[in-house]
Amino acid sequence: MSGATRVVGHSLPRLDAPGKVTGSAVYAADFALPGMLYGKVFRSREPHARLVRLDTSRAAAIAGVRAVIAAADVPDVRYGAAVKDEPVFAPDIVRYVGQPVAAVAAVTLEAAEAALAAIEAVYEPLAPVLDLAAALAPGAPLVHEGWQAYTAIPILQRDGNVCNRARIVVGDVERGWAEADRVFEHRFTTAMVHQGYTEPRAAVAAWDSSGQVTVWSNTQLPFDVQATLADILAIAPSKIRVIVPGVGGGFGGKLRVGVEHFAALLARKAGRPVKVMTTSEEELTAAYPRQGTVIELKTGVTRDGRLTARQGRIYFDTGAFAGSGPGVASVATLVLAGPYRTPNLHLEGYAVYTNKTNCGSYRAPSGPQANFAVESQMDIIADALGIDPLELRLRNIVREGDEGPTGQVLSAVGLEECLRRAAEAIGWRDRRPGPGRGKGLAIGWWTTTGGSSGVYVKINPDGTVALNTGAVEIGTAALTGAAQVLAEALGVDLTDITVVSGDTFATPFDFGAQGSRTAFAVGNACRAAAAELQRKLFAQAAAQLGAAEETLELRDKHVVGPNGRISLAELARQSQLAGGGMIAHGTFIAPGTAYDTKRVEGHVYPAFHSPSFHAHAVDLSVDGETGEVTIHKYVVAQDVGFALNPTYVEGQIEGGVAQGLGQTLSEEIVYRDGRVLNANLTDYKMPTTLDVPRVESILVEHPGRVGPFGAKGVGEPPNVEPPAAVANAIAAAVGTRITSLPITAEKIVLGQNGGAR
Amino acid sequence: MAKIPITLQINGERHEALVEPDRTLLDVLRTELGLTGTKTNCLDAECGVCTVLVDGLAVNSCLYLAVVAQGRAITTIEGLAPAGSGRAPAGTLHPLQQAFVEHGAVQCGYCIPGMILSAKAYLDDHPRPSEAQIREALAGNLCRCTGYQKIVDAVLAAAQRMAGGAVAS
Repeated sequence: MSGATRVVGHSLPRLDAPGKVTGSAVYAADFALPGMLYGKVFRSREPHARLVRLDTSRAAAIAGVRAVIAAADVPDVRYGAAVKDEPVFAPDIVRYVGQPVAAVAAVTLEAAEAALAAIEAVYEPLAPVLDLAAALAPGAPLVHEGWQAYTAIPILQRDGNVCNRARIVVGDVERGWAEADRVFEHRFTTAMVHQGYTEPRAAVAAWDSSGQVTVWSNTQLPFDVQATLADILAIAPSKIRVIVPGVGGGFGGKLRVGVEHFAALLARKAGRPVKVMTTSEEELTAAYPRQGTVIELKTGVTRDGRLTARQGRIYFDTGAFAGSGPGVASVATLVLAGPYRTPNLHLEGYAVYTNKTNCGSYRAPSGPQANFAVESQMDIIADALGIDPLELRLRNIVREGDEGPTGQVLSAVGLEECLRRAAEAIGWRDRRPGPGRGKGLAIGWWTTTGGSSGVYVKINPDGTVALNTGAVEIGTAALTGAAQVLAEALGVDLTDITVVSGDTFATPFDFGAQGSRTAFAVGNACRAAAAELQRKLFAQAAAQLGAAEETLELRDKHVVGPNGRISLAELARQSQLAGGGMIAHGTFIAPGTAYDTKRVEGHVYPAFHSPSFHAHAVDLSVDGETGEVTIHKYVVAQDVGFALNPTYVEGQIEGGVAQGLGQTLSEEIVYRDGRVLNANLTDYKMPTTLDVPRVESILVEHPGRVGPFGAKGVGEPPNVEPPAAVANAIAAAVGTRITSLPITAEKIVLGQNGGAR
Repeated sequence: MAKIPITLQINGERHEALVEPDRTLLDVLRTELGLTGTKTNCLDAECGVCTVLVDGLAVNSCLYLAVVAQGRAITTIEGLAPAGSGRAPAGTLHPLQQAFVEHGAVQCGYCIPGMILSAKAYLDDHPRPSEAQIREALAGNLCRCTGYQKIVDAVLAAAQRMAGGAVAS
């Protein structure tokens, strides 16, 4: 399509690149105010205990300390996205090592740290719930004795340590087992992993004399943070201005209130601005990582490889508070179904409390875990039936017009093309090219999250364009993509557009940088704004051009008529003199996706909106002695609908694969007895330049009906398939089936947690 | 702790500061001098976002004491453009910066100042590097967004441009 378009579909440099390469771009971590204090958080050292004494008097007496606060000093509220179960500070019971108990603000970071060391907490240990098995055992201690009293989304299915059980039931799995020639059952496990953004979570808060607080934060969801802060601070949202200066990566880890509330509460107490920023240790012990899981998967299949039934249960270790768990458990059931036609399904996702850090959302929440189980098992089935794994998938994948697991009708399904092109690019015909070398495939589907977006678009008197959006640029170039949509529609260049974003007072609402939605939703809001501007521009220009409005068009920064043209700059100047400026408000809300409500229970995400489809293929070698994995080639074929900016779509794919490979091979937050053993960036092993292979991106374009120019969400999907693709290639290479993430060299050589084969 | 007066030579300019002997160069750059292009994260030399050049060598400024930096030439990302000459027009980028923009090597951008300075230190000594050498040189700089591919491509392209003599570095 790029031949027919001037701006969209072209690999133009992102608008914020110059500031980022010269160091002039300001991130939340860089933000400072005169007289600002430094805040630090005092955290629990016990996984589960009664706080019997908290003495902050010595801390408060330290020179330079300006505020010390604990539970007694803040409103008695609990907050949370799905279950309001989390207090700002532990009032009586601590539920994980790292839970905030108190906070201090001081004139220097050193004084704040000295104050933390001077706080005395005495605990009376309670029986901790250290993992999923312990949490789900009959008679297990409850992480929250008072769970029933919490406010929660009404449809959640809660029971004791389970803070949601989401379910999809289709047909009758018993009938499916009867129709099957073979039934396969496997158990998979995955580890807790961190998003690994390079900028710590940071916030600066300052109150003014009218009782208004401004918070500069690197949140992905400024409007959600505003709402949560209103609860926590017990003031109206209109008194809370959240501004996002710049975000050094988020990947879902910066969705919810993280340090903003501490900054605001400390600043209120101290009467001075306060900055709070996390350390790496805090990130790896008290952030919002991806849940570890246990997955039980049972699949029935006929001799010729037709899926007849699937029963799946995925348990999420969501930690001490529900966090994103109830929603993630819901999404997981759609992933467990896979992009396959399966007539009988019984799929459940459980979000389970344990005495660990509160887990959250991480790029494609639940995707890599559930897909690891589904796609590993597909290869196991293929090998057992003597059917090529590519062929087995081709016999079962969804195609145009098929139903999704909850009855949504699928359209723009580019899956077969993805699968065939990825297989072709990896050289699938030669699946085991040599000793210790093998190739693996994995496919999947993912959603483009809905929610509403608003933009104000103004044409400046020099003819340039201001795009004012409540969305946040977290690094994906999504707002450059949206600006490309706007430039295309207005007949201007991308470089004519200036983006103002992420300010709850100055920008219109946006549902936020989550769920692969920003370019999709903001792009569509830009289309709406451009249509409104066109109407205004044409109405104003028609008389001057002596032409009917319907004969006019926007081209080359002008309104062009049959007999002449007039520049956008001139029309904007005229409007400033007589019409209050050339401005439009564009909005978008993704249309609902119809599904069969009878199939779901406890489900907060029953359908994938504008779903994307993708296939990953990898060629690797395994050193039989050391277990070291060397990736020779990695291919992603992703149906992106339409690539608004191919370079940055590739960037999403390359980065998503790199993150996915970290989860697959090396990353794990290691807990023992409720304590994290590797809370630093040497022992939490993220991939470096030496660990990540080149990724070949194949952009498949089956345009969707809703997204701008047919675009679908692209940010999260590349993170879904790497674990399964790599596990399948390792099995092909050395015959060892690892069913536990991360697939470390030790597991490959020693066979720990393997044996499903 | 008694403070010590120091003089730092940063991006060709003299800066006076009064610092404790245990203050890091990173802290002085960001907090005293407002040079926030040098980023902060792990404070343990594990991630590389704080990389600056000291006498042309890439160092993690989070573990480098400010007092040790006296008498040495310090380059931060703010001093890289315009190509060190001071005479280039505003908006001129160093070939590395230009290549990062053109190759889509920037996403969130938080690792990029350190990444570019690590690359510069290496290219200054190795004007015609292989891809493998570039990957080795950048192994101390974590990036979580890009998967490194477009970063490596940008450094390769910049190396070619710099070796071609189009812009003195």
